[in-house]
Amino acid sequence: MHPQGEPAAVPAADPPGDPAGDAAAVAAQLAALIERVPGVAALHAGTYGDVRTYLPGGRLTGVRVGQPDEPVEVALVLGLGRPIPAVVADVRKAVATVCGDRPVDVTVADVIGTWDTP
Amino acid sequence: MTESAGTPNATVATPTVTTSTVTASSPARLADDTAAGKTTIAASVVQKIAGIAAREISGVHSMGGGVSRAFGAIRERIPGGGSTGATNVAGVAVEVGEKQAAVDLDIVVEYGASIVELARAVRRNVITAVERMTGLEVIEVNIAVNDIHLPELDGGDEPPAVATARVE
Repeated sequence: MHPQGEPAAVPAADPPGDPAGDAAAVAAQLAALIERVPGVAALHAGTYGDVRTYLPGGRLTGVRVGQPDEPVEVALVLGLGRPIPAVVADVRKAVATVCGDRPVDVTVADVIGTWDTP
Repeated sequence: MTESAGTPNATVATPTVTTSTVTASSPARLADDTAAGKTTIAASVVQKIAGIAAREISGVHSMGGGVSRAFGAIRERIPGGGSTGATNVAGVAVEVGEKQAAVDLDIVVEYGASIVELARAVRRNVITAVERMTGLEVIEVNIAVNDIHLPELDGGDEPPAVATARVE
């Protein structure tokens, strides 16, 4: 249906500098990438509402990039048009373009629509 | 009436029961949990998918026992109280593990449908939908048919003719 998403279209993250600011920038970049994966309807704050990144002037829902030794957390609302494992695999690929082989915990918190929802 | 033969050899819904003979297609593994990180699918996701799949079968009039149908009717009227999904999850209870899921359904059937055939079709569709969409193996689908819907009861078009007295 869709080829591979389009993770390659976004430039990779800048080389790591200040860890805290860097994590926020990475999170924002990830959120933009993940929202473009086919089958992803929205980002979600997660089961406990903790999958968030706090930024100057606002907060970002659905992505949390913690300490370098912690996994990246992503929480999503998916459409029902694609099997969940396929969408999750594409999300992981998209995250890997920025974060390399860092572990990624993906939570599918909700689904919307019916079988033909994109 | 309760038709609750989940699988040929599934007897109870305790997590310890292992029924390995159920699925024709082995579900896709979700992710490499060790290196790549965990993938968690919320129970409400499985619930919604099972609810949609069950309702797809014609002959299923509605879902839920009396209590959950009443709550569902209330909940639909509460802003934000499950605006989109509440109608889909009434009458669906799920138990989701890391690789397996069990589904319990309360359904109201249309009068005239063969309940055994209907339950079989519902079970097949729910298993297919949940396994395909989530990659979880469905170990059992228990179906409780707790009411039957007679179409003429809620017609409401023609008021009952008994309004005129039989004798004058």
